[in-house]
Amino acid sequence: MINPSNGMISTSSSAANAQSPGLKTYFKTPEGRYKLHYEKTHPSGLLHYAHGKTVTQVTLANLKDKPAPSTPPAPASSFSASSGVRSAAARLLGAGNGSRALGFVGGNGGSKSLSGSSRIGSLGASSSSTSMINTNFDGKGTYIIFNVGDAIFISDLNSQDKDPIKSIHFSNSNPVCHAFDQDAKDGHDLLVGLNSGDVYSVSLRQQLQDVGKKLVGAHHYNKDGSVNNSRCTSIAWVPGGDGSFVVAHADGNLYVYEKASLHYQQNKDGAGDSSFPVIKDQTQFSVAHARYSKSNPIARWHICQGPINSIAFSTDGTYLATVGRDGILLSLYRLFLTFNSLYELKFFVQSRLSTSFRLFKRTTYLRWKKLLWCAIMLCLENFKGVFDNKVPLNSMDGKYILTGGEDDLVQVWSMEDRKVVAWGEGHNSWVSGVAFDSYWSSPNSDGTGETIMYRFGSVGQDTRLLLWDLEMDEIVVPLRRGPPGGSPTFSTGSQSAHWDNVCPVGTLQPAPSMRDVPKLSPLVAHRIHTEPLSGLIFTQESVLTVCREGHIKIWMRPGFAESPSGNSETLLSTSSKEKPLLSNKIGSSSYRQ
Amino acid sequence: MEISIMAKSISSKLEKALGDQFPEGERYFGLENFGNTCYCNSVLQALYFCVPFREQLLDYYANNKNIGDAEENLLTCLADLFSQKKKTGVIAPKRFVQRLKKQNELFRSYMHQDAHEFLNFLLNELVDILEKEAQSAKSDPETSSPNEKIANGPKNPQPNGIRKEPLVTWVHKNFQGILTNETKCLRCETVTARDETFFDLSLDIEQNSSITSCLKNFSSTETLNAEDKFFCDKCCSLQEAQKRMKIKKPPHILVIHLKRFKYIEQLGRYKKLSYRVVFPLELKLSNTVEDADIEYSLFAVVVHVGSGPNHGHYVSLVKSHNHWLFFDDENVEMIDESAVQTFFGSAQEYSSNTDHGYILFYESLGASNKS
Ligand SMILES: [Zn+2]
Repeated sequence: MINPSNGMISTSSSAANAQSPGLKTYFKTPEGRYKLHYEKTHPSGLLHYAHGKTVTQVTLANLKDKPAPSTPPAPASSFSASSGVRSAAARLLGAGNGSRALGFVGGNGGSKSLSGSSRIGSLGASSSSTSMINTNFDGKGTYIIFNVGDAIFISDLNSQDKDPIKSIHFSNSNPVCHAFDQDAKDGHDLLVGLNSGDVYSVSLRQQLQDVGKKLVGAHHYNKDGSVNNSRCTSIAWVPGGDGSFVVAHADGNLYVYEKASLHYQQNKDGAGDSSFPVIKDQTQFSVAHARYSKSNPIARWHICQGPINSIAFSTDGTYLATVGRDGILLSLYRLFLTFNSLYELKFFVQSRLSTSFRLFKRTTYLRWKKLLWCAIMLCLENFKGVFDNKVPLNSMDGKYILTGGEDDLVQVWSMEDRKVVAWGEGHNSWVSGVAFDSYWSSPNSDGTGETIMYRFGSVGQDTRLLLWDLEMDEIVVPLRRGPPGGSPTFSTGSQSAHWDNVCPVGTLQPAPSMRDVPKLSPLVAHRIHTEPLSGLIFTQESVLTVCREGHIKIWMRPGFAESPSGNSETLLSTSSKEKPLLSNKIGSSSYRQ
Repeated sequence: MEISIMAKSISSKLEKALGDQFPEGERYFGLENFGNTCYCNSVLQALYFCVPFREQLLDYYANNKNIGDAEENLLTCLADLFSQKKKTGVIAPKRFVQRLKKQNELFRSYMHQDAHEFLNFLLNELVDILEKEAQSAKSDPETSSPNEKIANGPKNPQPNGIRKEPLVTWVHKNFQGILTNETKCLRCETVTARDETFFDLSLDIEQNSSITSCLKNFSSTETLNAEDKFFCDKCCSLQEAQKRMKIKKPPHILVIHLKRFKYIEQLGRYKKLSYRVVFPLELKLSNTVEDADIEYSLFAVVVHVGSGPNHGHYVSLVKSHNHWLFFDDENVEMIDESAVQTFFGSAQEYSSNTDHGYILFYESLGASNKS
């Protein structure tokens, strides 16, 4: 059947995604069963997985009720803007051996944003009359954006339809990474990076309204790889950057672009493409600015010799994390970026032989200050607190970072101690995605307990999902404090003071020795897909898992699938202001020190 | 005629692709196939780009060329082949293949051969040749032996005439590692350790796993009980025991052989396992006796192409001067590093992808091979 409104052929493809033998439709955890609620996939004819060159990445996009793109956002909405989680994943083998990125933006945006987006949302909902979810839910306008082969697919998260409601095909090259900014001011909220190095920015809403199979109203950057023809590896909006964004490439360069309307639109045919001086020494970090002021990109950072696997900003833009295959000789440096900010290297981990993680910190703070850590190695995610705007800056937000990689291990880093404080063994192959479950609250979260529990998940190329509980008092931080690098670390004072004053610019962290660090065992481990996984996302009511080939499974949390009507009410009323449990917990923990 | 034309276009294409990045003094030539000799070609390319091995072979050859003069053997054939001056193009490893067939009847037929078996045979053969030459050099005091004795001084040959003196040749220095097989008697708790040397590790594989995971399984503790009890010297009887293998001395060049050809008893024949086994560009070896992790970098992969064990094709991927190259007999191409992952295997059975990494070559990044 052809849905005339968007031109998508929607087959009721049950055979294409038949349950594989041996795979269950649920998995058990101590708090109950997670049930496979529905699956999202793409027309199976597209499964030409010939060279494994593209690995599916998923971005959750929450379209808010904001029909007029030019409307300046109210302060409230800019708050909810930052109530998103971004995560990033790295591909340690240069080209995406599975560890693809997960972008997740605005998972719990405004609750009143029904009318504007419901029209779009209903496209997907039209065929799901048997939906277990309240129909109001469909209008929430949360979309799953994922790339497979030469296409970007968009599915409605809250519809039961297996097939996407929209497909966008690229004739020149495969899309490989994407990012969404629900608070983009000029209407362009979706970025797409291609294998060819080309970059597009578009309006997601406009794509959903269009019936064609091509991008509409796009700005095209780095056309035909004119500035850099190596693969895009990761792409991110600069939070609060007024439409600026950064694109990481497989040749170790990162480019900064400014909002298109400022410069680029005048030269829509690519005439305004920048030129940059040749990198003389590939082993040295360097920053170069475009030769002409009215051109895009405006700056190039040469970060790694190998590919930059992933980049991510903290939600307020304070931090930029990069992960890459290295080869850069360590040097202490300060960086200048053009969006009115100075970024400096704060944290550098060479955690494996040639895989490194860097964290850049912007020294001028934006007005809303929240610490949201993102991204290392495979994925770093913020820890709690970010969902509640009332949590003060100096809370313990972002205390821990998760990483995973080609050693099959998951690692928990303490940002305070700048080292691994726990590691988890359980995957039989590379870890391709890790994420904290920010919505999970531990059974003993009544404030009386002495320990803080965290829940996180990891997925791997072993086709399994592992869940982990991290109880912070259980973890004994080894006393060996003096890092071999020579820079002392202190844990006194507030975290920000620690970062700003104590930490010298650029600190080399030696590869962690696992022998001194407590080991975690997974709470549960379940084989949930037939293909290697590329990522996971926690939402309030579910866990999304995605495999390399673009099949997405949505697992409802215990309690949610059973009584949908009752829970959807809870869901709808749960806005960013209702996170008392989390904030209490974080508050209590932060003052404990 | 056709081959030479093709070779020319290949060479110019490759040289074009590399441009002024063509590494000085490096050679990238294809190897002619003499009827199912791809098993040989793929391993030879991997060994050629094992730079310490190539250099030491050529050094040895240069220094010992005139000693035994007339005698042709696999070592001289290999050294001849490796000292080709051609920058690109195609070489016919005719003498080497003829010599190989002469030497070992296994490789005489035109059947599909096992690349791992060939590698094993070749390395052991080289060691034999070196030992023989060292032996004859010792009887001739004029020439000094290029090989070193093991650390604890010269040992006298065994009186009974068995040549038991272990020479550490440059082949050993490159490829030899030591495994220690620890068995703990569960009754008296005595640990018996037995060392064995290896030139490569043969690993059992599992679907959707990693090399790290296969290595972990390789070193995991196994219980010997029931009919498989262990004879404890202290208890003087068969006892239940725990056994585990650990790497005592990691080799400079770590060769990992994935056991993709498995005998299936129900079928009464071998079957190829197409499992997806991911191998990293950089491998950390942690199942060692000592605490320190050893880091390795991948520089060559011998790939088996085909769905069954008795037919198919071998190609190799090689890293040289930070470029990845694809060698398919006569054909040499530059490939992107990202293409390496397409040789991991199939996540599900009955996939159309039949190109699977079979032998992995890693070079230690730590200490040099002197240690
Ligand atoms: Zn005993």
